Amino acid sequence: MIDSILLVDDENLFHLVFEDACSLLDISLKLQALSSADEADRLFKAWKNTPDLKPECVFVDLNIVGSSFDGAELIRRINYEHGNGVVIGIISSSYDRKEMSKAVAAGAQFWIVKSDEIEPRLEEFKNDYPGYKSRTANFKVYS
Amino acid sequence: MIQVAEDAKRMLIDIAEKQDMYVEGNILKLFDPGDDQEFRKYVDVAIDRDKAARSKRLSVTKQVQNQNRELIFAQQQNEKLMSDLQVALQKAEDAKKIVENDLDNLQKRNQFELINIIVKVSLWMIVGVGILSTGMYITGMVTKSDTTLTGNVWSNIVSILLTNSFSIIGTIMGVKYASEKPKT
Repeated sequence: MIDSILLVDDENLFHLVFEDACSLLDISLKLQALSSADEADRLFKAWKNTPDLKPECVFVDLNIVGSSFDGAELIRRINYEHGNGVVIGIISSSYDRKEMSKAVAAGAQFWIVKSDEIEPRLEEFKNDYPGYKSRTANFKVYS
Repeated sequence: MIQVAEDAKRMLIDIAEKQDMYVEGNILKLFDPGDDQEFRKYVDVAIDRDKAARSKRLSVTKQVQNQNRELIFAQQQNEKLMSDLQVALQKAEDAKKIVENDLDNLQKRNQFELINIIVKVSLWMIVGVGILSTGMYITGMVTKSDTTLTGNVWSNIVSILLTNSFSIIGTIMGVKYASEKPKT
């Protein structure tokens, strides 16, 4: 089970869906959801001094409405500016290959395509999670 | 894992039996029932109820999410239609302006053409009367007839033609200028 998860997504309804799906699938007991990439950026800056509060895994939406930058840029900042150490990837309804390449370049480890049937994808992700944590798994798209 | 004290376990089981109320949420997954079968049963029931409630909420949330998506799509379609309508309205207004302009030009041209005809007819009538009176005057002089009346008529006509010649020429030039096609 993942110790703690951070979800960054502008769609508040998806926060509920994700929280319930994670609970039902026993993916994580602790989940924090944010609606803005800027807020996540600020938190990661603050967590530099308190690394214990840092989540273990971060799911970032690609297009975060109302934020100064997109999900790929947030992943880049988390990986290269705020110190590495978290499992991080994209959760988006997009399936754009170009965006995927951009996300991989920023350090994304996975890409989960949002849909009505998110549970099977999260279940598969849960099974692959140890590989992401040990940094041995390659980038994978769950669609 | 959380070790729950005996009196707390009894209290939770008692509340569940009497009021059908159970602990909810992820904290249930941290309860360690140990060898206490009764409390294990309580925790299992509470987890099942929590999962059922979450499944129901997940299903409803997904429905709302789908409806939201459909509403957003419909709104986008509406906005596109409104935009198309505005473009079509603008085009119709532009076309109306062009037609009105053409109609106005056509009316003006018709008016000018009519004036042109009237002026030409009037000119020919005056010139005709001038030629006729001159002819009568010359005929009178050649045949040695009495030219008093024809002479007066001729001098009147010539004086009228001279007096009005500038205004006639001005009118003709004006009509000619106004009836010319605009240069493109």
